[in-house]
Order: sequence, then structure tokens, then C-alpha cells
Amino acid sequence: MVFDRNASGAVGKEFDAITAEIIMHRLCAIPNLIDKNITRTAFSILISEYKDYAVGVLDSEGRLIAQCSGGLPIFIANALSAAVKEGLEVYGKDQLQHGDVVICNRAATMGQHLNNVVMYTPVRTSPDEGGLFGFFAIVMHWVDVGGTAVGSSSTTSSTEIFQEGIQFPTMKLLSGGERVGDVYRLIECNTRFPKMLMGDLEAQVAGCLMGRNMSMEVLEKYGNEAVRTAVKAFWDRSEASMRKAILAAPDGVYSASSFLDDDGISGGTIPIEVSVVIEGDELTIDMSNIADQVKGPLNAGFEGGAVAAARIACKYLFAPLEPANWGAFRPIHVICPPGKILSALPTAPLAGSGKVIPTVVDTILRAFAKALPDKVPAAHHGTYGIHVIFGTDAHGNFFRHLESTIGGWGAARAYDGPGPYRSMAHGDTLEVPVELQEATCPYIVEQVKLRQDSGGAGAHRGGLGVEKSYRLLQDCSVYIHFERTKCPPWGLEGGADGKTGRVEIHGQDHSQRTVLKEITKARKGDRVDVFTGGGGGFGEPGSRDIALIVRDLNEGYVSIAAAKHAYGELADQALARMRECGMEIPG
Amino acid sequence: MKVFVGVDIGGTFTDLVGYDARRNKLSFSKTLTTYPNLVSGVSTCLQAAGVDIDSIDIFKHGTTVVINTLLERRGARTALVTTSGFRDILEIGRAGRPVVFDLEYQRKPPLVPRHLRWEVGERVNASGEIVRSLDLEELEILAKNAEARGVEAIAVSFINAYKNPEHERAAAEFLRRRLPNVYVSAATELSRDWFEYERTATAVANSYVGPQAATYVGNFDSRLKADGFRGTLLMMSSNGGVMSVGRAMEQPLALVESGPVGGCIGATAYAKALGIEHVIAFDMGGTTTKCALIQNFEYEIENTYHVGGYAYGFPVRTPVLDIVEVGTGGGSIVSVDGNSRLTVGPRSAGSDPGPACFGRGGLEPTITDINLVLDRIGGNAFLRGALPLNREAAIRAIEEKVCTPLGFARDRLDSAAMGVLSLATAQMMSAIKEITVERGKDTRDFQFFVFGGGGSLHAAGIARELHISRVIVPPEPGNFSALGMLLADARMDQSQSMLTNLEEASSSLIQESATELGQSISAALRRDFGNVSIILDQQLDMRYKGQRHSVLVPVHPGDGLDVIHGNFLKTYLNRYGLDDPVCPVELIGIRVTGYATGERPDLAGLHGAPRAGNPVPVAHRDVYFEEASGRARTPVYLRGDLPIGFRCAGPAVIEEFSATTLVGPRDEFEVGELGELRLSIG
Repeated sequence: MVFDRNASGAVGKEFDAITAEIIMHRLCAIPNLIDKNITRTAFSILISEYKDYAVGVLDSEGRLIAQCSGGLPIFIANALSAAVKEGLEVYGKDQLQHGDVVICNRAATMGQHLNNVVMYTPVRTSPDEGGLFGFFAIVMHWVDVGGTAVGSSSTTSSTEIFQEGIQFPTMKLLSGGERVGDVYRLIECNTRFPKMLMGDLEAQVAGCLMGRNMSMEVLEKYGNEAVRTAVKAFWDRSEASMRKAILAAPDGVYSASSFLDDDGISGGTIPIEVSVVIEGDELTIDMSNIADQVKGPLNAGFEGGAVAAARIACKYLFAPLEPANWGAFRPIHVICPPGKILSALPTAPLAGSGKVIPTVVDTILRAFAKALPDKVPAAHHGTYGIHVIFGTDAHGNFFRHLESTIGGWGAARAYDGPGPYRSMAHGDTLEVPVELQEATCPYIVEQVKLRQDSGGAGAHRGGLGVEKSYRLLQDCSVYIHFERTKCPPWGLEGGADGKTGRVEIHGQDHSQRTVLKEITKARKGDRVDVFTGGGGGFGEPGSRDIALIVRDLNEGYVSIAAAKHAYGELADQALARMRECGMEIPG
Repeated sequence: MKVFVGVDIGGTFTDLVGYDARRNKLSFSKTLTTYPNLVSGVSTCLQAAGVDIDSIDIFKHGTTVVINTLLERRGARTALVTTSGFRDILEIGRAGRPVVFDLEYQRKPPLVPRHLRWEVGERVNASGEIVRSLDLEELEILAKNAEARGVEAIAVSFINAYKNPEHERAAAEFLRRRLPNVYVSAATELSRDWFEYERTATAVANSYVGPQAATYVGNFDSRLKADGFRGTLLMMSSNGGVMSVGRAMEQPLALVESGPVGGCIGATAYAKALGIEHVIAFDMGGTTTKCALIQNFEYEIENTYHVGGYAYGFPVRTPVLDIVEVGTGGGSIVSVDGNSRLTVGPRSAGSDPGPACFGRGGLEPTITDINLVLDRIGGNAFLRGALPLNREAAIRAIEEKVCTPLGFARDRLDSAAMGVLSLATAQMMSAIKEITVERGKDTRDFQFFVFGGGGSLHAAGIARELHISRVIVPPEPGNFSALGMLLADARMDQSQSMLTNLEEASSSLIQESATELGQSISAALRRDFGNVSIILDQQLDMRYKGQRHSVLVPVHPGDGLDVIHGNFLKTYLNRYGLDDPVCPVELIGIRVTGYATGERPDLAGLHGAPRAGNPVPVAHRDVYFEEASGRARTPVYLRGDLPIGFRCAGPAVIEEFSATTLVGPRDEFEVGELGELRLSIG
């Protein structure tokens, strides 16, 4: 027996399916490890608590190989690829060398609000062209990049991108491992929160470099060629699995429509019309008839808008547990001509770029409902429901609580609607505990409870929204951005709509006003009530299982009055059964 | 006191280790766990190990009863009492969706349904001031409700009670007095940390398991006594310490990871005795592999534990040894799915039907089958040959379920099997990378301390991949969890949230709070263990302002704010490789740990290695080694034959009752002073 001291440890030299599996296991684990490291080291709550970032590894053409599984859905679309592809055009492969770190948030490329900044670094085994394996990239929501509003993307009134902050149109932050001081200074003096931003940025740089080093270990062990072959096989498999899922849906053209309330400036509803073409194992999401770009900051660019929404919807339906990568999305085509709300021109305001996505995803799913009636759920509450309470406290310190609401999700043929959760454009984003809010902001939260009767009735009931009340202990500013108050979360196949959300401000003088999209003042002693929407119901209410109605009544998810209204005689039977079993009938 | 016993009652096996200090005698046994009368299984184990029950002075017990009650939802009918306006906190939780793209995603329902979640008038604000007094009349109505509905346990959790627990205590006392047969827990009795959902879930879980756990612990103690036991029973707590029977009955949630901690305690004791500052403890069992970091002879404690996992379970605030777990073990099933994707685990063949080679009807290949086919383990490796392994069955399973679907010809069985093993290795490496990379650590700085049934078999391969140069295999790796229990001290952790900018903090206030926590711990330990000497460690939970995650910074009485700030910078730099001397720093809490060291065995006696001898291999096998890409003729030694100081170059197989150690062709091994095997990875 002769021992080869230089053996790589791989199974022989030949390539095989098992080695490919090992390579991809190791490569795919890296973005998730870096993800966890960033959560621990980042400075702003947007990163640590909200997870408003994503980590990925891409090939030398900017095609996504693997991405962390916990980040926001909005980033699975194309954020990393879009930025890297632009970098390849700007520099060419030979100018992207080991130790370079590039940033980009250019509106024309990314099509998302300027806070989303992609950072990436080459992974290469040698300085020549063939030595470039790919890139390690992280997109992160920077806490503030200038513009008219604190936090940049929180403006409700911008009409051009130039009011929303500074653009970094592909520039090197590090060159050959050395910091480019000019760029650091530029960033630092274009943000309201230099301390916090530079902290997050350090975490982002460290994450890129650590991810690159770990990727290089895999390359060193298995060699550039074997890894490329494994990646290709991995893409092919994801693609095949996506094609298989699409093939199972009947061919045809399916469309659906819905609308948004308004853009906060022009008034008037914004029509969302989509059609879906299923042809064999490919599909096209056509948004040619969606609204034109709007004056206010609700637009998104093509990559960050149309492509993102289409891919999110397809992933929910066809590949929920599969890894997100370039191969998986190959069979999906997106049409959206320039100048639409999801393919806005480069100067359009993008601050609220993500806020349209939940409704568009909902609408794409609705279009698929006719093709996949057992899979597609009714609509969810469908809004970010942003509310921010901010001001300066008695000691002169700035405080701010930013929350996006949680609400009900849609029921489907096999299940009651889940939730309350955030929107379909959110990921594993956590609620900020009341105790943390009260320790840092001058208000008392009087209640956080499930909103009875907010889920649409049906054979399966929509998920419930919530009611939350803040009692202000001093004068504050309040920023509200609620959507989907006019087009309620729809039911399917006879299921009822869910209730819509709203915000009410109750004055101590018994005044009351409803606010949906505005920045306003509220006084000490005022109560801010947030009501969030419920999910749509699925199927005829008359076919609901009585045991489920009993459960809903016993748990108080549904009131007796609403149950009688929605379920008629079934509700009476449910009440009779409760009496028989000696269950308490809620007052 | 001279006779110690440690018992780990697991789902399948009951492991027992006994040590008689007078005779310097170590004994082991392993039996099938006996339901429902677990003590009779213990009696069998004691007999098998040759230990007289009436001679035992200290009996330490680790149990899975609490975690099983939670996972199988077999707990008490529990009600929850919350501040008015907050009964839905338990159901809403933090509203995260870890399985992002699953439209149906839903956590398991809360342990208390909505109709048993009741609100009571009371309110404390974030400064701890009472803004609405506790409504005792409402509480009386709730008590009546509880009686009427046959409630067996109640959890009380109020908003901001971490800041002022007065109302919570008053309500708990009221309910205990009013409902003497109902098990009552108040959240702040279990955790003084903030975040209402986590604290509420903690109180609920404790009440939910309370009645069963209290009965179990009480019965265990009285059954032992009825059999003649005259010593002290101590329960293994998830924080790596032991606790009294009384405390275990009040805080059963502290037993949630009672089983797995033994190995880490043992690893820590050996690390200290051998002077190894940086250790990765690695425990590979049948269904999972667990690992933990031990640095400067201490393991880390996490304050939050997710019952049933992060994705679908719920958090509880109880100090638990910081362990990362992956679903890869000896029994993990190897399969190829419809998309030609090869997977190892998390499904496990368990003991019934077990791996294909057990010949009990298992048709799916497992990691054990792979190891057998590659001759990494022998056909008599299990229970000294009492369970002979069927090589043909293993080959058949691998060929059918792996080679054929992936297009490997018959003559490439070895390389297919080795490939599967490499994938299993990669999965176990992920767990190790998670505990190191996430914390900014480099695996090269660590030694690898391995145990569990499969630890020493896979250690050399994993160490090589991670550039770890030294592997330590302790005595009796397969029984090491029970062995580790013998070495556990009494330990108690308490913490208190206090959010303040460090520059605005007062060092005297910090010390006051720390002293208060320390006194409370000392009083509790003395109540349980008598007039013992107690060591207190104080730490501050600190972070840069704005961060979510914090680091624990040691603090000593008399430390000024400058010293504290300096220590924070040092700790943070060490952990994450970054520091920023001007960035504002926040203090978010104080943690105090109290230890009371009891008598425990001397490690020098805890092994069976002879002082001298000239061992010869009992057999030779052609073992497949990855680094050789082929088979090599390999001597097989019995571990009990290897004297202290014995050195030998690989390849080698070292067999003992509970495990097999594999030494690669480029590696070397020697037997250390404490009977440990030390592998140098070449």
C-alpha cells in the first residue's frame, strides 16, 4: 500500500455525485455561518433584529450559487447578482482582484431603495482571468444614506430618487486589501448616523472577507474545476426540480387583479394586474398591464421590483424548501416594460420600493389559483403596515420605535390561515418586545391582542390580525404607512374577505382620527390604536367543520355574533355542542 | 463520603458509572431503560456494576423526563395569568417565520390554549413603578375558575416584572395559598431577564412540567430509599451543575437538558487536569452529534433554550450549556431522493430495527453500516460481540440504496461508502464551524475532545479537515456522560436585566446588584447543601450600543467603570476580532454564578489503563482510510492492554466495550497519564 501524501482527501481524482454533494454542502453552509456572525456583530436593530440583509456566494459571471436561508425574501430575487454583474461590466474580471471589496446601491441597477447596499469581494485562486471562481456578497440595509427623511427610506413625499439619499454606483471600498479612505469619508459624511452605519459596515466587510476565506478553503481542497462542475450539477438539479413542479400545473394563461390604496401624493387607486403563462415546464409572469410608475415613492426598478416579486411568488408555490439559486429561477421569465411601478425609470422615487411587493405577490398567487386550486391560499393582510413613533425625550435624547405590523395570512383548502405574521415579503423578522419598547420610548403599551373576527370566514378561516394600543406619555411624532385598506385580503372559492387594517389616534378630548399614510403629531395622553388585517377565508363557510367552529368560539377567535352571521345554523349547532360538553359560552 | 454513582436514563439505554474511592474502583453498566418503573432498571444496573445501594454516598441523576414531557405534550392542564391586555403574548410570540417560504408555516400551538389564559388588573412600568395596583378580587375569580375547570398548574407572568416582581410574587403567593393542590410558578422566580414573551413561555413550561417532574423526582428518591439508599440524591441541571431534589421540584425546567451535560462537565474536568486551554467537546451518539467549546476550563452557558428547536418550538429562559447539535449519528440513515440528492440523517434507524447490519429487518443503510463495510469497526464491535454485525446485509443495503441510484458500479463500493462518510463528516463539521466561526474562533487553536459511541471513530478524519492537530479520547467514551456526572459541582446561575449606558452607570450600584444576586445564590445553595464554601463569579452582560447580541465580561468587586470598559473591549476583541474604544457601550444585565464544590473522584483513578505492559495486536484488518484513498493492513488493539506511556504510529484500531478508536496511517497515538488516548494528527 502506498500512501499518497498529497492526496486531496476527495474520493479519488475523478468527479462523482457524492463528491459533488460534499462540495455543495460545504459551500452552501458558508452563507448561513456568515449570516449568524453578522447578526451577532451588527450595530443597528434593522440588521440584528429585523435581519434586513442577505449573504450569498456567486460564480464568476455573477450567477447566484447559494444564499443564506434566513434573510428577507426580497433579496432572493436578484439583488446580489444585479450588483455583481454591473461590477463585471465596470471593471472586467482582471480588475477585480483578491482583496478588492466593491459596493453598489445604484438605483438604475438595483431598483430598490438606496438603503440596500450590496458589498462583494472576488474569490479567486490566481490573478489571471481563469483564477476567478466567483464572489462572496452581502446586501445590507444601511441605517441612513442621507436624503430628506431620517432613515432615508422613510420619506412619504419624495418625487425623485435624488431626494432619497446618496448613490454608490459601483466603487471600491477596499482595493487589494487596503481601505480606500476617500470612499470611507464619503460614506461617513452622507449619513445621519455615522457611528451606527460604520459599525454595520465593518460587520459587512468582515463577513465578506470571512466568507471569501472559507470559500477559498473549499476551492483549495477540491480544486476550481471540481467545484465548478459541482455547482453546475447543483444548478441543473434545482432547475430540474423547478421544471418538474411547473410541469405538474396545467398549461394556460391565468390572470388576476387587485389594487393599492394610493401613492400618498396623487390620490387614486393603483391597479395591479398580472397574468401568468404556464407552458410545459416554463412559465412567464407578465406585468405589462400593471400601473405605470407613480409620482410618490412607491416604485421599484425592474430587478428589485418585477423580478423580485415574480420570483418570491414562484418560490412560495413551487420550491418553498429548495435552495434559492440561479438554476432554480432559470425556467421563470418576467415581462414588465420600462416605466411601470415595478420597472420604474432610474430617476423615479424608490423609497417605498418593497411596500408594493406583498400585494403583487398576493395577486400573482391569485392568478395561479385557477391552475393550482389545492395549493394557493387566500390573500394575506398584505401590507408592511409601518408605524413609527419618534421624538426627543425629556433628557433631549432621540427615541424611535419602528414596527411593521403582523396580520393574518390566507386560508387554503387544507388549512386555516396562519399568523399573525408580517407580510409575504418578510422573513424571520422578530417583534420587538413590549418591555424593550417601554424601556426606550415614552409610552405604555396597553394591550397586544388577537383581533377577534378579523379572519375571513370559510371552510377554512383566515388568520387573525392584532390590536395594539400605545398610550403616549409625552408629545411624539407618528409616521404611518398602511396599505390594502381598500382592497381587503380576498377569500377564495366562496371564503369571505379578511378585515382590513387601520390606525386610529384617540385624543384625550375624545377626538378620533384615522391615519393611513402620513407623518403627524400626537399629544401626551393620546392613544394610538393599531388594527391589523386578517387573512382571507377559503371555501364555503357552510362546509366548515363544526369542531373548528367550536374551537373558534371557545378560544374567542370568533364572536358568537360573527359566527352566527357567517356560519348560520352551523354556529347554533356548535353552541349546542358546547353546552352539551359543559363548555363555557363566552359572554 | 467515598462511593459515587452517576446514572443517565435515556430513551433507550440507562447508563451507570460507579466509583469507589476507597478501593479506587471504577465500574460501568448499561441496560435497556425500563418503563414505567425506571428505578428497577437502575437496580439492575447497580447489580450489573457490582455496586451495593446502601454503600452509595452521592447519587447523581440525569433524566430526560422534562424534555420528553414538553416534546410529547404530556404535561399538566395549565392556566396562565397575565397582566391585563397581554394574554395573547404567549400565542403571538415574536411572530418570526424561520421557514420563510412555507405558506402553511406555523409553530406548534402554545402549551396553554386561549380559554385558559386569563388577565388580571395590575401594571408596573419600565422603571418598576406600580401604575395600577394588583386586583385581588379578580384574582379570586380566576382561582374559582381554575377550580371549576380542573386546572392542575398555573403560571403567572406580568409585564415589566423583571424590574419589579412585587405583583407577580403577591399573585403567586395568593394562588398557592388559595389553591394548595395546584402547581404554581411565577416567571420572575425562574428568570429576572426582560422580554415578556420569553419569560412568560418559561413560566408556562415550568408549570406545565411541574406536577409530573415533581412526582418523578420525589418517587425516584423514595424508591431508592426504600431499597436501602442512605446517601444524597442530586439532579443534573442543564447549567452543568447539580441541584437538590427540593429545588428540582420547584424549578423542573432547569432539568430540560439534564442528560447531555454530563459529557461537557467531564470534558471540562479533563481539560483542566491536562492543562488544555481550548477544547472542542464532541459527542457523537446514535441519532445526533453535539459539540461545545470549553475555553480556559469553562464552558459557556446560554440563557435561552428552544424547546423543540428554533423553527417550530418555543424559547425558555433557563441557563443551558451552550451546545450545538446536528442530526448526524451512527444510526443516521443514508438515502438518495427523487432528485438524486444524497442525504445522511436526520432520520435515524434507532435500535429497532437499527442499522441493516443488526440483521433485525433494517433495510436502509446507516453510518454504522458504512463503517462496517469499510472495516473501520469490526463485526464484534457492539456489546463485546453480544450483537454480531452482519456485513452482507450492510453491503446489500448500500449497494441497493446508494450505489445503484447514483450509478456506482459494484467494484466501487468502497469509494461510494467513503464518499457517504465524507458527507457525514461535512455535516458534523458544520456544527463545529457553527460554534467556532460564529464566535470568531479558529479551529486550529483547539484540541478535540471526543466521546459518545461514535466520537473516537470519526474524530481523526474530522480533526484533519479542521486542521486540529490533537485528539483526546477519555476513558470509557461510550459511557462518558454518566462518568462526567460524577465530576459535577453544585452550581446556580442568576441574572438581572438592567439597561443603561455604561458611562451613566454607577459602579457602586452594579456592585450592589451583584452582591444581592450573590447573597440570594449563597442562601439557596446553603439551604440545599448545608454550610458549604461557595465561589461566586460575577459577569456583566454588555454590548456596543445598538447591538442585539451581548458578551459576558468578568467583573470583580471594586472594578471602576474604566476597568469594566477595558475588559469589555478585550472580551469583544477576543471574540469577534474587532474593537472600538470610542463607541458607546451599554450594560444590559448582571449574571452571577455560584459554585459549591462537593467531594468528587480523582481523575487519576477513573481509568483502567495498566502502568506497564507490552501490548500486542489481537487481530489485523484491512481498513479503508480516506487519506490513503484505499485500504491498509491495520493492527487491532484492546484498549485495556495499552499501558500508560505507550506510543505507536498509525494505522491502528483500538477497541473497547463502548467504542472504537481509529488512528489514521499518518497519525500517531499514545496513552496519557489519566488513561486518555492522545492522537497526533499528521
